[in-house]
Amino acid sequence: MSGLHNNQRDDLKNDGFHRAPESGDGFLRLENLCKAYPEGDQTRVVLHETTLHVARGEFIAILGKSGSGKTTLLNLISGIDELDCGEIWLGQSNLTSLNDHQRTLFRREKIGFIFQFFNLIPTLTVWENVILPLELNGKTDPRSQTQARELLELVGLGDRLSAFPDRLSGGEQQRVAIARALVHDPLLVLADEPTGNLDEETGRQVMALLDRLTRQAGKNLLLVTHSQEAAGYADRVYTLKEGHLELVTQEARQP
Amino acid sequence: MKQVRVSPPFPTTLFRVGWRYLSRHTWQSLLMVVGISLGVAVIVAIDLANASAERAFRLSTETITGKATHQILAGPQGLDETIYTSLKRSGLVRWAAPVISETVSSPQLGNVPLQLMGIDPFAEAPFRETLGEGRPPSVEQMTVFLTQPGAVLLSRDLASQNGLGLGSEIELELGGRRHRLFIAGLLEPANRLSQRSLSGLILADLSSAQEITGRVGKLDRIDIILPENGTELAAQIAAFLPQGLRLTPVVERQGTLEQMTRAFQVNLTALSLLALLVGLFLIYNTITFSVIQRRALFGTLRCLGVTRGEIFSLVLSEALLVGVLGSAIGVAAGILMGQGTVRMVMRTINDLYFTTTIRDLGIPLSSLVKGGLVGVLATLATTIPPAWEAASIPPRAALSRSGLETKAKRAVRISGWLGLALIGLGAGLFALPTRSLAAGFGGTLSVVVGFAMLSAVSLTGLMRIVTPITGRTLGLIGKMAPRNLVNALSRTSVAIAALMVAVAVTIGVSLMINSFRHTVVTWLEESLQGDVYISAPDFSATAASLPIDPRVIDRFQTWPGVRRVDLLRVAEVDSDRGRLQIMATSNADTGSERYYQWRTGSADETWKAMEAGSVLLSEPLANRLGIVKPGGQIELQTPQGPVVFPVAGIFYDYSSSQGMVLMSLDVYQNLWADTTITAVALRLIPGSDADEVTRALQQDSSQTQALIIRPNRALREEVLEVFDRTFAITSALQVLATVVAFIGVLNALLLLQLEKQREVGILRSVGLTARQLWKLVMIETGLMGLTAGLLAIPAGYALSLILIYVINQRSFGWTLQMDLGFQPFLQALGVAILAALLAGLYPAHKLGRMAAADAIRFE
Repeated sequence: MSGLHNNQRDDLKNDGFHRAPESGDGFLRLENLCKAYPEGDQTRVVLHETTLHVARGEFIAILGKSGSGKTTLLNLISGIDELDCGEIWLGQSNLTSLNDHQRTLFRREKIGFIFQFFNLIPTLTVWENVILPLELNGKTDPRSQTQARELLELVGLGDRLSAFPDRLSGGEQQRVAIARALVHDPLLVLADEPTGNLDEETGRQVMALLDRLTRQAGKNLLLVTHSQEAAGYADRVYTLKEGHLELVTQEARQP
Repeated sequence: MKQVRVSPPFPTTLFRVGWRYLSRHTWQSLLMVVGISLGVAVIVAIDLANASAERAFRLSTETITGKATHQILAGPQGLDETIYTSLKRSGLVRWAAPVISETVSSPQLGNVPLQLMGIDPFAEAPFRETLGEGRPPSVEQMTVFLTQPGAVLLSRDLASQNGLGLGSEIELELGGRRHRLFIAGLLEPANRLSQRSLSGLILADLSSAQEITGRVGKLDRIDIILPENGTELAAQIAAFLPQGLRLTPVVERQGTLEQMTRAFQVNLTALSLLALLVGLFLIYNTITFSVIQRRALFGTLRCLGVTRGEIFSLVLSEALLVGVLGSAIGVAAGILMGQGTVRMVMRTINDLYFTTTIRDLGIPLSSLVKGGLVGVLATLATTIPPAWEAASIPPRAALSRSGLETKAKRAVRISGWLGLALIGLGAGLFALPTRSLAAGFGGTLSVVVGFAMLSAVSLTGLMRIVTPITGRTLGLIGKMAPRNLVNALSRTSVAIAALMVAVAVTIGVSLMINSFRHTVVTWLEESLQGDVYISAPDFSATAASLPIDPRVIDRFQTWPGVRRVDLLRVAEVDSDRGRLQIMATSNADTGSERYYQWRTGSADETWKAMEAGSVLLSEPLANRLGIVKPGGQIELQTPQGPVVFPVAGIFYDYSSSQGMVLMSLDVYQNLWADTTITAVALRLIPGSDADEVTRALQQDSSQTQALIIRPNRALREEVLEVFDRTFAITSALQVLATVVAFIGVLNALLLLQLEKQREVGILRSVGLTARQLWKLVMIETGLMGLTAGLLAIPAGYALSLILIYVINQRSFGWTLQMDLGFQPFLQALGVAILAALLAGLYPAHKLGRMAAADAIRFE
């Protein structure tokens, strides 16, 4: 796992994306984000001048009711969806200035994704699912492969490399997803209800693992969830209400 | 600041996603492979047939013409052999070889057509390598060949295939006469190609050949080799030749024949492409389905940073794999299928165009490569729209499970308008003042695809009408079935389009063949007024060109019961427009016994004009030469030099697509000084029994010449038999297209039903019985068949109009009368519904057996 620490974070220096001078106000900065969807003749506002600054290595949890816009927020940060207004900065890169293709390349290199329904590729083995982001980034060297193997050992699936996802339990699948999200050394990990499809005990184990690994690797983690317990692992917890983020707790680490 | 980022190489793991999908969905992949295989097999089989025909023609020509650059040709009576001697003496040509050539057969050599060539062995060497290549006959064998009458040479292959050897006796049959000969030597060519060209050849000394063919003192032609820049020399030779002889470049003669068969071959190719088109619908359908099925997966990949281009390549790579595999199997199947098509096509070419003597044709690699490439490229091209669709799947599709159907529903109207526009474009292409076959096929494709694009709008429209009816009669299931079809429009409409195209082709081709047959039957009734027809046996099904013994004809004139004897001479003559077939007749009722496109004056006046030196042209010839209006004329080469004949009319004729010039026998005999008769029609006193007269004549003439004597009915039957044989391959292709379409529908239904497993599970858990489920599936498939069948009716009718009035006209020059019966329509509607119902059986069975719990669990 040490390798994951060592080779990261010289940020986005030579990657061709738009950048601004380091502001020091935060590593991830969401500035006055707006997003609305048409609903019949009406427009439903999901985000309204939402602002958030996240420091390096910080773990943020966002709580909210169904339909409050949590997933939309993640989609905007990952570049899956487009903003109506506002800016998103990751390090020195302004995501809002990127086109679809650039956002895709940005995502493959800088972001790790964890989904509620695991979304492993059913036709790839555990090992292949994990090395897919490495291959996408052209990292096929033995060192990267060794790191991937180490990561799978860390999530406890070192002996299931050649199993296909349909042979794994929900908890195991989510652990593969965690390894996949971290393997290519991203700057930011986005987790959308990672425990939503797991039983309580498994959910707890998965959250503990996610927390431990992201912190060890010094990654930023942005979690959206319904679960107060899952949110309890975060450094700061927000609720998303009527398009605004409201701070609920700070440094509310579980014992 | 924007910089160009160099993407890493395409990740192999991503390829695995596609390939494993294919291997896990065996049924789907298998159907795609079958669809491509069948399409490619048909293309390869037809191309093999066409290539074989071309090769047979080329080898036959090469065997006969060798390295000759020019030929001196005469009219139907051949040229005097003294011309050869005087030409050699003149010093004008260095290399010249006299030739007699004729198609013969031999019971000892399998009764197949063989080329008899009479040659001067001493003049042959520069022209043909038959005597010098490989292991040539020994000096002893050549001495026997030159000195003993009846000595022939043939290839060792041909002899050994028939259990013959050196010294074996053979009988040659020509025009109803038999000639006893023996094998004086065996030719053993060095290479396979020469072996093939020699496999249908019998060489005889010039004088022996003259005797066998009854052309003593005559030659069929003189082959000449002129230097490359020999234009002036050619002019000198032409000036040296007596009236009526022509020096023709060899390429010119070959070109005419190739041109005649081209239309036939182009038509077959077009039909084979249609089979591929139906196959492509299948591929399109399956790949589209696979994309829809994997929306969430593609969404996930996009979330992980896979670009649109990579998703596009992924889907294309799957198609490439399927395309390569399907094409490879298709090529192999095409070789097998080719055995049948080569036979059928060669038979038709022998019937209608020229007699080939080459049998072992080998398999041209180019046909296989072409078929394989077409398969792969067409698969890739068909995959582009679904691959594009896959690439456009937004990453959030991984998070939401919304369907594609809303989009499909929006596209219905657009595709409907586009369909109408394509039909309009096709009609516009037909309206262009051109005889281009390519424009004709372009228009046909446009109309077919146009109708295919109407399938979605037809389905939604029809279901709107059907739902209240099925709802009232079949209850809730009756309501569900049509709604299910409309809800899965993106897939159902493509399957319906595939089935519709196949059924429309069936209707179109059936109507065309029926109309053609009907036209031919009417034409036969009108133009075959004789009671008994006589000709010498030859290998052409359409023109009798071998002489009938004059003594036999004399006996016919006085035969009891014979009221009138019409004589006919069929021959080939040179004209200012190439070599043409002429038919000289003594039938004074020609003006009234044929259908005319136009003629000058009344029926009697037509004959009078013919007696005065006018000619009639058959419709295909008139079209080919562009002489379509009164006032035209044609120049024919006669022994007295070129003579211009006014054209007095154009008559409908379906005996050959190259066409003919019809003239009075008196005029012909006066100008060509040729009294040969090649066919006779007898008209009997009313009440005479034609069969009895036929039998008596056969018995009487058998001693003099074994002739083909047939009553009117038998001749008609034979003409129709040739007709049916010509269209046998068309019908076979049509059946194949339907099979491909059937597989397409089966595929679509299966995918559709399997996709609904979850929904079916819910229905089963709320109490739907297996029987009710079966009913639901069968109503769905039946409605799909009904939609395809109903849409195929106007499409098929449009296609028949195109085939009859555009494609046939442009390919062969024939005007056909539309014979519009209900049967092809009803039959096609039945086929569509039946095919759809049959295709529904397996999915219904599979779903019926599935336990509700499993179905619900299905993801």
